[in-house]
Amino acid sequence: MTTEPSRRIQRLRRRALRSAQTAAVASPSNAPDAPDAPDSTTAPRVSFRDAPPLTTPVFEVGSLSVFYGDHEAVRDVNMTIGDRQITAMIGPSGCGKSTMIRCFNRMNDLIPTARVVGKIRYHGENLYGKEVDPIEVRRRIGMVFQKPNPFPKSIYDNIAYGPRVGSFKGNLDDLVEETLTRAALWDEVKDKLKTSALALSGGQQQRLCIARTIAVKPEVILMDEPCSALDPIATAKIEDLMEHLAQEFTIVVVTHNMQQAARVSHRTAFFTSDVDVKGERHGRLVEYDETERIFSNPSDQRTEDYISGRFG
Amino acid sequence: MGSPVLDKGPEAGVPEVRRLKSDGTPWRERLFQLSLWASLAVGVVFLGCLLVYIVVEAWPRLNFRILTNFPDIIDPSQAGAQSAIMGTIWVIGFTALYCLPVGFLTAIYLEEYADPERWWNRAVEINIQNLAAVPSIVYGILGLGIISRGLGFGQTVLTASLTLSLLVLPTVIIAAREAIRAVPQSIREASLALGATQWQTIWRQVLPAAVPGMATGSILALSRAIGEAAPLLLLGGLTFITFNPTGPESAFTVLPIQIFNWISQSRSEFVSLAAAAIVILLVILLAMNSLAIWLRNRYSHRW
Amino acid sequence: MTSTGSGRRVASGSPGFLKRSQPRYGEKAVKVLLVAASLVSVLTTVGIVIALIPPAAEFFGEVSFGDFITGTDWSPLFKPAHFGVLPLVTGTLMVTLIALLVAVPLGLGAAVYLSEYARPRVRAFFKPILEVLAGIPTVVYGFFALQALTPLLQDIWPGGEGPQVFNALSAGFVMGIMIIPTIASLSEDAMNAVPNDLRDGAFALGSSRMQVATRVVFPAALSGIVAAIVLGVSRAIGETMIVAIAAGGRPNLSFDPLEGMQTMTAFIAAAGIGDLPTGTIGYQTIFAVGSLLFVMTLVMNLVSIRLVRRYRQVYE
Repeated sequence: MTTEPSRRIQRLRRRALRSAQTAAVASPSNAPDAPDAPDSTTAPRVSFRDAPPLTTPVFEVGSLSVFYGDHEAVRDVNMTIGDRQITAMIGPSGCGKSTMIRCFNRMNDLIPTARVVGKIRYHGENLYGKEVDPIEVRRRIGMVFQKPNPFPKSIYDNIAYGPRVGSFKGNLDDLVEETLTRAALWDEVKDKLKTSALALSGGQQQRLCIARTIAVKPEVILMDEPCSALDPIATAKIEDLMEHLAQEFTIVVVTHNMQQAARVSHRTAFFTSDVDVKGERHGRLVEYDETERIFSNPSDQRTEDYISGRFG
Repeated sequence: MGSPVLDKGPEAGVPEVRRLKSDGTPWRERLFQLSLWASLAVGVVFLGCLLVYIVVEAWPRLNFRILTNFPDIIDPSQAGAQSAIMGTIWVIGFTALYCLPVGFLTAIYLEEYADPERWWNRAVEINIQNLAAVPSIVYGILGLGIISRGLGFGQTVLTASLTLSLLVLPTVIIAAREAIRAVPQSIREASLALGATQWQTIWRQVLPAAVPGMATGSILALSRAIGEAAPLLLLGGLTFITFNPTGPESAFTVLPIQIFNWISQSRSEFVSLAAAAIVILLVILLAMNSLAIWLRNRYSHRW
Repeated sequence: MTSTGSGRRVASGSPGFLKRSQPRYGEKAVKVLLVAASLVSVLTTVGIVIALIPPAAEFFGEVSFGDFITGTDWSPLFKPAHFGVLPLVTGTLMVTLIALLVAVPLGLGAAVYLSEYARPRVRAFFKPILEVLAGIPTVVYGFFALQALTPLLQDIWPGGEGPQVFNALSAGFVMGIMIIPTIASLSEDAMNAVPNDLRDGAFALGSSRMQVATRVVFPAALSGIVAAIVLGVSRAIGETMIVAIAAGGRPNLSFDPLEGMQTMTAFIAAAGIGDLPTGTIGYQTIFAVGSLLFVMTLVMNLVSIRLVRRYRQVYE
C-alpha cells in the first residue's frame, strides 16, 4: 500500500469540506445557528430533527456491491431506510454515494457495464428480481438530479410529461396546478405556464424538476446532490421544500454539504472510499445512524474526523 | 510523447531552449505560415475560377428555354433540360422517401439501443463507415446487377432512386447519429426517472430535440445524391429522354447525366448548353445548402 | 402507501407489485423495426458482393486470373478480345498519383493552418468554402478539367506538344482539388484531438509555432493524417465522372500524364452506358473490373477506419 493515493484522497476530502463549509456559512438559513468563524473546523450547531422509527422499512439493503466492469465502485453496504423521513448520504467525492442512490430506482441499468450484487428490497420485494420492471420501479421511486434538467418545453409540459407517459386519465390542468402548489412554485409560475422551462432561474428549474417528480405520485424521491449547482438562497428554498415533502414522501438525498445533511435529514449515512490491498478504491458505508448521533457523537473515528474536518 | 522537443528532458536545460529559439528565424516562420495560407487559398481561387468560368460559358444560354424545352440533338439552341430537371425531382423525391426512414431508424438503433461492446453492433458500425467510402460506381453495379436486372425493375426511376438511397444511406445515418448524440444524456435520464419507457423517451424527448440536426444532415446527404451521375450511367440514365417521368416505372434522365451527355457532344454549342445546365444544378444545390444552414441556425438548441 | 393518481397501481408491498402493469408490445415492435432498418446497411454490403461475384466468377471461367491481372492489352469489346487489366490499373494509379501530389500538400497545409494558426473568424470563412468544394458535383469538375484547364495547359505549355485533349494531368489535378476537403477536414480532426498539454509543453520550452505544428502536433496526429490520406486515395481511385469526361476512354499503358488513359471506373461507366446484354463476356467485364475496384477500395477504407480508431483511443 503506497501513501500516494491516500494523500490525494486527503486533498480531495479537504477540498470537499472547504466547499461544504463555505456553502453552509453563506447560507442564510444557517446564519442564526452558526456564529462560528468561517475558518472554524467544528460543525456549526444546529437543531437536529427527531428521527421517526424504522418500523416500516422502505428499502432494506444487504451486502450490496456495485461493479462498473471489473471495478467494484461500492462494496458491501447494509442499511435500512425508513418511511416518510429524509435520509442523507454524505461523504467525500468518489465515495460511491451517487452510485449507491442510483441503485434505488435502477438508473444504473442505463450504464451497460454496471452490475449490482447483493440485495435491495423495496417494501420486501427484490428490486433487482427477474420479474421486476424498471419502468414500474421508477414510477414509484422518482429522482432529482445534480444539475437542473428541465425538458426544453413549457413549464406545463414539464409537469404533465410524467403523467402523460404513465397514461394518466384525469384532468391534467388540475394535476399541474395541484403539483406546482405542493412544490411551492405555483405563485411564481402560474402566469407563464406556457413559457419555456429553460427561461426559469436555476433554483426555479430545480424546484420544477422536483415538482415534475411528484406529479407522477411516487412514494420515494431520490435526490442526487440537488443543490450543488445552486446559490445559497435557492438552496434554502429547496431545503424548505424537502422538509415539507418529507411529511408525505420518503426522501433519500445525496449531498457533499454536511451542514445540509445536518439541517434537513433525520438519518445520515456516512460513506468513504477505502483503498484495499490491491490498491483499488471502493466506496464503503462507514456509519449509519440518526443524524443527531452522527453529528454529535459518532461511533466511528472516520466519521468524527470527516464531520469535524480533521482527516488524519 | 513522440515529440523531439519534449523528449530532451531536463538535462538539456537552458542551452537547449536557446538552440530552439535561434533555430526558427522569423522569415522561416513567416514563409511557413504563408505557404499554409496559400494552400487554403488555392482551393478558394480554384472555386472562384470554376464558378466564374461556368457562368461566363453559360451566359448565352441562360434563358427560360433551358428550363422549359426538352433536349434536342438537332438544334442545340432550342434544347432545354426540362426532362432532366423533372427527372432529378422525381428520382431525389423517391430517394428521400426510401433512405430517410431507414437511415433515421438505423441511427436511433445504433445510438439508443445498440450495446457497442457487442461484436455485431461494432460490425454494423464499421460496415457503415466502409459503405460511406465505397465508390459510387460500385453502387451502380449493385443497381445494375441486383435491382435493375436481378429484381427486374429495369431502367426506371424506381431503380435509380433505390440505388441512390443505398448510396446516401451511410451519410444519412452518420449525420443523424451525430444529431442524436448531441442531445444531452441528462434529458434521457430525466425522462426515464419519471417512469417513461425507452421508446417514449426517444419519441417525446430525444427526437424532437434532434430533428433539426437530422434534417440538416439529410438535406446535405440528398444534395450529394442530386449531383451524383456515375451509378446512374449504368442504369440507363443516359438514354435520350424527351419527356418527363410520370411515375416510378418511367424511364428517366437527371441533370448531371444530361450535363455529361452534352459535354460528350462534339459540337461546341453544346458546351454552353452544358454550362447552363450546370448553373441550374448549382443553383439547386445552393438552395438546398442554404435551407440546411438556415435550419441549423434557426432550430439549434443551446443546452 | 397506495397511490391515488392512475388508479391502476398495485399497492406497494402486495405480491408482485413491481411487475409490469401492462404489456408493452409496442416497445418490442419498435425494437424489431429498428434492428430491421439497421440490417439494410448490412444487406447493402451483402448485395454488392452478390452482385459482383457470380458474373465475375463466370468471367474468370473464360479468362484466367493470371492473364487478367498481368495482361497489358485491354480490348474486351473488340475482336479478338484481350482482357489484360493492367492498362486500366496504371491509368487509375497515374490519375490518383497526380491527384495526391496536389491534394496531400494542399490538404495538409490547409489542415495545419486551420488547426494551429487560424483565428475563429478566419476559420469561419474558410471552412464553408472547403465544404462547398466538397459539395460540387464531379461532373462539374470534369467539365472544368476538359473545357477550361486542358485548353489552358495547351496554351501555356512550354515547348513540345503539350497535353492531349484527353489527358491524365488535367483530370488528376482537378481530382486533387476535389479531395482536398476530405484530407483537410479529417487531418484537422486528428490535429484537434491532440491535447493542448503537448502544445503547451513545447511552447514552454521556447518552441515556435511552426516547430510546435511540425514537430509536436503533426507526429502526434500522424495516424489520423495517414487515415485521411488513405481515404483520399480511396476516393480518388473510385472517382468516375472526372476521369470519364477529362481523361478519355482509351486504355493506355503509359506513364505520360499528357496522354489520355482510361481508368477502371471510366471503363465500367463506358461499358455500362453500352447497355450490354446479360451473360455476355462484355457484360461480365464490368463485374470483374468492379470486383477489383471494390477490393482495392475496401482494403484502404478498412485501413483508414482502423487508423482513425487508434488515434481516438489514444486521445479521447
